[in-house]
Amino acid sequence: MSGVILAVDDSASMRQMVRFTLEGAGYTVLQANDGVEALELARTSGADLVLTDVNMPRMDGLTLVRELRALDNYKFVPMLVLTTESGQDTKMRGKQAGATGWIVKPFNPEQLLATIARVL
Amino acid sequence: MPASTAESSKAAPAGAAFTPELQMANMLGLCEAQMESALQESDRAVDALVQAFTCLVDTTRSVNSLTDQLPAEFRETVAVGLNQQVEAITKQMASAVVAFQFYDKLTQRLGHVRYSLSTLALFVCDRSQAASPDQWRRLMNTLRRLYRTEEEREIFQAMMDGISSEQQPGDATSTHKAVKAGEIELF
Repeated sequence: MSGVILAVDDSASMRQMVRFTLEGAGYTVLQANDGVEALELARTSGADLVLTDVNMPRMDGLTLVRELRALDNYKFVPMLVLTTESGQDTKMRGKQAGATGWIVKPFNPEQLLATIARVL
Repeated sequence: MPASTAESSKAAPAGAAFTPELQMANMLGLCEAQMESALQESDRAVDALVQAFTCLVDTTRSVNSLTDQLPAEFRETVAVGLNQQVEAITKQMASAVVAFQFYDKLTQRLGHVRYSLSTLALFVCDRSQAASPDQWRRLMNTLRRLYRTEEEREIFQAMMDGISSEQQPGDATSTHKAVKAGEIELF
């Protein structure tokens, strides 16, 4: 597998878990601590897929998805939300913001990789 | 930390006038401080564990890559055995990746408990507020909106329905959790 994935989470241990999983499958992983950092990184470096948490300081994941969708380079880039939130309302807000899919934490590494392979 | 958390964590000065509300606020502040201290301690331990795990992952990947470079004569003997071992370790690592994420979830949930305690401490200090059923309902709504996970919402709802934490069916909740965790939906 190849491709650049932007992983966004305010928890360092979560970012590490995502990194292990994705790098082990051959992806290059860019990491951001929150939406603001991710938006900046997305503008300066291209990503083939964005994997983001929802609740983060400064800019939440759904705002990030909305902001990224407004950029020409990210109109069609798959964006997966990885969160502890499983409420239907929040999911719908994610869908409206432009997310490609929703994954409830804790993720299973094999399933995460299969999902990424499917949307890439 | 929310501003109100820091405020409520401050103990009342010695000699401050005794009121039941102030005592209650102090006790809530104490609970919150204990929780914060325990969380900081466990954060450090988990950070160390994640670092150790990172090294283990890197080493396993190095072994795997070295195995691929073995001369042909060793491939059928040594490499097969090594590959099986690496595969077994990799499977264990996948389980560890899932387990580590529960700590993250725990931290998030305890953060909500801490915020609830500090909010309650401020709330009870205002007698007119604490005597108003409407204000209590407003407080409960504020706390309900705080909860992000299905488990938190279920417990909140059960308590609102008058079911004590001891009466809640643990097994049923666990089954429900298992269904939700790892759930994937593509839009």
